[in-house]
This record gives sequence, C-alpha cells and structure tokens, in this order.
Amino acid sequence: MEVKITQEGKVTTAALIGRLDTLAAQEIAPQMDALKEVDGTLVLDCKELSYISSSGLRIFLTLRKAAIANGAKIIVRGICPDIRNVFVMTGFLNLFEIED
Amino acid sequence: MKNPIQYIRQSLSRKLSLWIVFFAAVIFNVALGFMFTQSLRAVRQEAISRASKELDNTVLRVNSIIQLVETATDNTDWLITRHLDAPDSMFVYSRRILQNNPELNGCSIAFEPYYFQDKDRGRYFSAYTYNDNGNFYTSQEGNDHYEYFYMDWYQTAKLLDQPVWSEPFVDVNPEIHDSKEIIASYSKPIKDKDGTYIGTIATDISLSWLSETISAVKPYPNSYSMMIGQGGTFFVHPDPEKLFYQTIFTETLEHDDPAMADLGHAMLRGEEGMRELRMDGQDCYVFYKPLGDTGWSVAIVCPESDIFGGYKRLQQMVFFIVVIGLILMFLVFSRIVSYELKPLRRLADQAGTIAKGHFDQKLPDDDRSDEIGQLTHSFGDMQQSLMQYIDRLQSATAQKATIESELKIANTIQLNMLPRVFPPFPERGDIDLYASMAPAKDVGGDLFDFYLRDEKLFFCIGDVSGKGVPAAMVMAVTLSLLRHSSSHETDPAKVIQMVNETLCKGNDYDMFVTLLLGVLDLPTGRLRYCSAGHDAPLILHDGTISTLTCQPNLPLAILPEMRYKVQEYKLEPGSTLFLYTDGLTEAMNADHEQFGMDRVREQLSACMNDAPRQILERVQDGVHAFVQDAEQSDDLTMLAFRYTPGEFATILSEKITLSCDLKRVPELNAFIASVAQKLGADATVTGQLQLAVEEIVVNVMNYAYPEGKKGFVTIKVMSDGHQLRMVVIDSGVPFDPTLREKADTTLSAEERPIGGLGIFLVRELMDTINYERVDNRNILMMIKTIK
Repeated sequence: MEVKITQEGKVTTAALIGRLDTLAAQEIAPQMDALKEVDGTLVLDCKELSYISSSGLRIFLTLRKAAIANGAKIIVRGICPDIRNVFVMTGFLNLFEIED
Repeated sequence: MKNPIQYIRQSLSRKLSLWIVFFAAVIFNVALGFMFTQSLRAVRQEAISRASKELDNTVLRVNSIIQLVETATDNTDWLITRHLDAPDSMFVYSRRILQNNPELNGCSIAFEPYYFQDKDRGRYFSAYTYNDNGNFYTSQEGNDHYEYFYMDWYQTAKLLDQPVWSEPFVDVNPEIHDSKEIIASYSKPIKDKDGTYIGTIATDISLSWLSETISAVKPYPNSYSMMIGQGGTFFVHPDPEKLFYQTIFTETLEHDDPAMADLGHAMLRGEEGMRELRMDGQDCYVFYKPLGDTGWSVAIVCPESDIFGGYKRLQQMVFFIVVIGLILMFLVFSRIVSYELKPLRRLADQAGTIAKGHFDQKLPDDDRSDEIGQLTHSFGDMQQSLMQYIDRLQSATAQKATIESELKIANTIQLNMLPRVFPPFPERGDIDLYASMAPAKDVGGDLFDFYLRDEKLFFCIGDVSGKGVPAAMVMAVTLSLLRHSSSHETDPAKVIQMVNETLCKGNDYDMFVTLLLGVLDLPTGRLRYCSAGHDAPLILHDGTISTLTCQPNLPLAILPEMRYKVQEYKLEPGSTLFLYTDGLTEAMNADHEQFGMDRVREQLSACMNDAPRQILERVQDGVHAFVQDAEQSDDLTMLAFRYTPGEFATILSEKITLSCDLKRVPELNAFIASVAQKLGADATVTGQLQLAVEEIVVNVMNYAYPEGKKGFVTIKVMSDGHQLRMVVIDSGVPFDPTLREKADTTLSAEERPIGGLGIFLVRELMDTINYERVDNRNILMMIKTIK
C-alpha cells in the first residue's frame, strides 16, 4: 500500500495505491492524520485503489469529519465499481463528493 | 255489543259512579224501608182507629134507634095497663107511638085471644098502626087468616116474659100492605095490675132504615158494612143475594174457611174486635161489634187495598222517584267524575305517548292543586328526569360504543402484532412453522412470536394473567420487550430476565406473564430455552411424544431479582416441537370438563408426522368437537414447528489457522483469493469474500483476544457447489459479532460514529451469519449462495 501526496496550490491530492486492508490502514494512518490539517481541497485519488476494508472506510470518515471542522472540501476521485459498491452499502456515497 | 263488565271496567268514572249509586241505593233502601215499615204500622193503626170509631159511631146511632124503639114502647106500656077497660084506646096509643116516632114502621098492641070478650070483642084484638110515608093507618089486624098470637113477635115476649127483639123478618100482612117490608120487632109483654100476662106490644122498625144507617158507614171507598142477626143471617149486606138468604156461615159450608167461621161465632157471641181475613178474594180488615141487647152484630169490612192503597201508591211513587233519581245520579256523577278525570285521561294518553319513546311530549298545563295536579307535576318531573337520564344514557352508550370500537381496534392492533404470514419461511427447507391463536370473546392476553436471525429461530409463546384490556396491554408490552431484548441477545434466559425486570417495574396490578422463549440454532439443532412458568412444550419425534423438561421458574412480572437459567436440548432432525397455552388443556365443555393433557396427546399421536399446520388444525378441531357450543373462556394459542435440516454435501473444504496478529491479514486475503479461484469466483465476489472474512477475523483478533492476548483463529471455507460456508473459530473470550448493533447509514458525516461498519458490511455481503459458542469456542459461520 502506498500513498502519494501532492500539493497544487490549495488542492492537496492523496493518491491511494494498492489494497487498503486493516493492516494497510494501520500503516498509512500517520500520513493520513497529516491530511486532517488540510484547509483547502483534499482530493483522495482512488484510481489505483483495488480493495478497502472497514478500517479504510474509518480513515475516510475521520478525514471527512476533520474537513467539516476545518471548512475544507474533500473529493473522492475515481473509485472502482467494487469500492463504489461498498460506498453504497455503507452510505458513504452520500457523505463524499465523488468524481470519476 | 261490548261485554258490560268490560265496559264498566274501562272507565274509572263509570266504576266510581256505579259505586256511589250502589251505596246511595243501599242507603235509600234502608231509610225508605224503615220509613215504609213505620208508616205501614201508622197507616194500619190509623185504619184501625178510624174503622173502630166509625163502628162505634154506627153502633151508637143504631143503639139510639133501638133505644128509641124501646123507649117509645116502654113509655106506652103504662097507658095500656091503665086503660084496659077501654079497648079502643089501644088504637089511639098505637097510632100515637107512630105519630110521635115517625121512624117507626108499625106498632101492634095485641092481646090474648078473647081478652076483651067482656067488652064485646071477639077472639082477636090487636091494635095495629103502620106508617106509610107519613100516613098512618090504624086497624085491628087479627083475623082468622092472621092469628097473630101465634106469631113469633107475640110468642117470644110471652114465653120469655121479658122485652125481646125479634129476628128481622118479612112483614107479610097482605091485608094492609102487599109489599114485603123487612122489619124487626121489639116485643114486650103486657101485664095487668096483678102481673098477669095479657098481651104483647110490638113495635116494628123498618130494617131498611137501619140498613141505610149502617150502610152509610163507609170509612173507605170500597169498604162496606154488614149486620147479622142472632142466627148469623145477613140483615145488612151490600150483596142483595146474601141478604136474608145466607148466613155468615153459608160460604164456609162450601169452602172450608175457619177464619170466617171464627168471625161468625165471635160475632154471635156478642164479642167486639178486629180481624184480618180473606173475603171475596181479597185481604180485608173486619171490625165487628154487637148491637146492644138485640143479639145482632155489626161489622165493617175494609179491603186492605183500600187501607193501604194510598200507602202503596206512595210507595210506588217513591220507588219510581228513587230509581229515576239513582239513574240521574249515575249519569250526573259519571259526567262529573268524567269531567274531573279529564286531565288524568289526557295524562294517561300522554304517558302512553311518552312510553312509546317520545320523551319530549309536552304535558298539559295544569294549575290544579289536587291529587291529579300533583300527579301531573310529579309526572312532569319524572319526564324531565327520564329525559336527562336518557340523555346521559345516550352519551354513555355513545361513549361505550366508542370504547368498544376502540377496543376492537386495539384488539386488531394486538392481533396484528403477532406474525400473520404463513408459511413464514417458504424458501427454507429446514424449518416449517405454524401458529394459531383463537381469541376468546374478550380481548385476551395470549402471545406468540417467532423470527429468524442469523440462522437461529427465535420463538416464544406466553399467556398474560387475566383478560381484557389490561391483559392485552401487558401482552403488547411483553411482545415489544421480547423483540427488543432479543434483537441483541441470543440467550433466552437473559432475554427473559431483561423482560422480567422491565415488566416488574410499575406492575401495580399484580399481573403476571407465563412465557416460554426458545432459540433454535438451525445449523446444529441446538435448542436453548427458558420457561417462565409456562406449560412445557411437547416434542414429537420418532413416533413418541415427550415433554421438554422445564425448570419450575416463576412467571414474569413477579420478582425482579429472579434469576432465570437457560436450558438446552438437542433437537433431532425430523422433530416437531409443539407449544401451547393453558387455553388448550383448560378448554371447557358445557359440563365444565377440561380438555386435558390426555386428549391433547391423543390428538397429537394421530397426526405426529403431519405438517405443523395440519397438526394445529387437527388439535383445534378436537377441541371444537369437545367443547361444542360452550363459550370459549380463554384464548387458545398453539405454535408448532418441524425441524428438518438438510445435509451439506461438501465438495470443497479449505482451512487456515492464523495467530492472533493483524499482520497475518494479507495472508488471510491470499488464502481467500486462492479458495475463490478454486470456486471459479470473479474478482468482485473474491473481494466481497475477502472483505467479509477480514472484518470478522479482525473483530475476533480485537475482541476475542483483548489486550494483546495470544491465540489462534481458524478459518474454514466449505462449499457444496451452491452455498459457501465460511466458519471463523477461535478460543477467545465469548464474542458474538451478531449482537453488534446495525450501523445507521443514513446519518450525516458529523453524526456518524467512526466504528461499527465491519459487521455491518459482513451482513451486507453475506446471505446470513450465525454465531454459536460451543466448548468454549466462538464459532461464526457466514453463508452465501454462490450459484
């Protein structure tokens, strides 16, 4: 699991690459915690994300809560059908702005 | 024509008037009767005294005439004696007597034969003068044809030697007078100075004169007088046929008439008196009295009809007046009473109208202060009260109807709380369940429920004490509590305990609930149950009926500290569990005989291998046949299910055991991926299976082995080609992920909790999950149909 974080002006993009299982979620937790401070627009790029467990979803939700507190904006970009399905099941589709 | 008694009964005025008239008639009758009796006596007395007086007067008058005759005769006596030497003077004396007493008819101064021989007189010498209407004719009457000295009037005086009255006789002196005159003679012997009898002086008096005098006595219009002589012959009598020819006894000879004979004898004896007897066909009063020394007797006959005629007429008149008066009285009283009762009649009419339900009928205004007025007022008051009462009754009835309707709705709601769709699990081959409740007339307190969760059948049956709305409400509360409590708890004892604690709070009415709650783990047939004082269910298996052993626990809502313990039973495949309430065993027939356990077993043994629905229907029919027309006293609730788990024919079985470390998760995912590949699953399904298993395993690692405890997790994956079963087994502390609350996916980001998504996702991804703790191991099975 790899996370690539890039900054373009006010837009911070975090590209999630690989499988975000429980173990991976623990590993990327420090990187993701840093993203809580983002006050512009945070783009979670999921084009390369193939799997997500509830631990991963938990990170997404934590960021979302932080963004609301900071007045920031989160965009989830390019989720695959399987993950979209998980988003549907969990109601996350309504919590996030999804981009292809 | 109406029946007269009916006619009188129908009207109070008629009745009242009749009574008044009746009593008036009685009083009149008594008063008039007394008066008439008294007047009858008075009239009689008056009649007697009047007739007596008349009779006395008559006798007095007759006596005076007789006296006259006697005096006239006596006064001449001495002249004759003195002048016996001058026979011719006898003519003078004879004539003088008549002249001096014109009432007299004749006078004979007759001497013994040849008495005046020395005076050239022959054998006969009788100086006779008679009065022919004031003309006096004097002659010597004796001759060869009339030898006077043989005559009675002459002889009696001579023989008796004293003055004597002759019986009346017909004067038949043809020489002088050819008319026969009835006369009576007073004869007196003539004696010379020596006292020798020398002749008889006889003075005649016409009886017609006497008769006239006597006949003139007429105290009553139809009364008459009569006189009889010494032999009883009638000398005075209105009937000429009787006169002279008949005696008073004549008729008694033909017809025996002792009264008449007695009267005759009494009169002849010279008695005086009054008698009542029947004469000539009518009742008469006869007053009689003798006439001086003559031996005659005078009688006045007064017909009773004459005496009492006036009285009788008066009586008839009075009777007539009384009758007319009573009739008038009846009519007038009828009218008066009828008039007085008019308001009452109107009241009666109105009361009739009111009785028909027209309560607003206005009563007649009446300012009378008498009983009728009071009645009208009382009636008006009653009507008012009645109207108010009806109003209240109507509103009460309306309220009651509302309550009843609401009760009905409540009952429906209550019934709708129970599962209603049968068969409930048509897609499942392992469980066939049927339940029925026949509610009694009142809203009852029986309950049953069942549902499947995580491959477990939750079922319960219960009975709330008492009936009616309180029982129904407790039933509803119990049902809700059960559903709520069992949603996160699979231990029946714990569920019952929770429900008991809640029910005990605020149970001020000492109601209680018997309940049996069971949880059947469908994959294993492991039945866990707990009975709170409920009837033990029956197990039908392999041709036998056995009773599920139940601890004698207290019913619910009695003791909050009560600790309920779970009981276990391994339900063999093919078994049927039969649950019921006491409405079944205590169903009563008309003879108050209970259906009883024996009959239940009898019914069940006949349909042991039938489907639950048929079993219940058969038992129900048996109860109906037993109870027949007797009213159902209690709810009759039954629940039965048949457990027929299918065989799982494994064609693939893979296993991996991991130490309790999150670092092993990728290993797990790889294992699932390899199995999925063997099953020919695509990437999506593989991802879903990986996600489900990972979530469970991570949960086990976190919760079954808390605080870094060491342990292992075994994951088994089996398939029969249609269904995939993934079983996660660990030896950690009891951990049942199925009890986790379902995440609410509708909440906003701020509201959503961070955790709780894992088990939720498992449920979403798999068909069903099932947890069992067996032999200190947590066993969680996930099932998903793959083809």
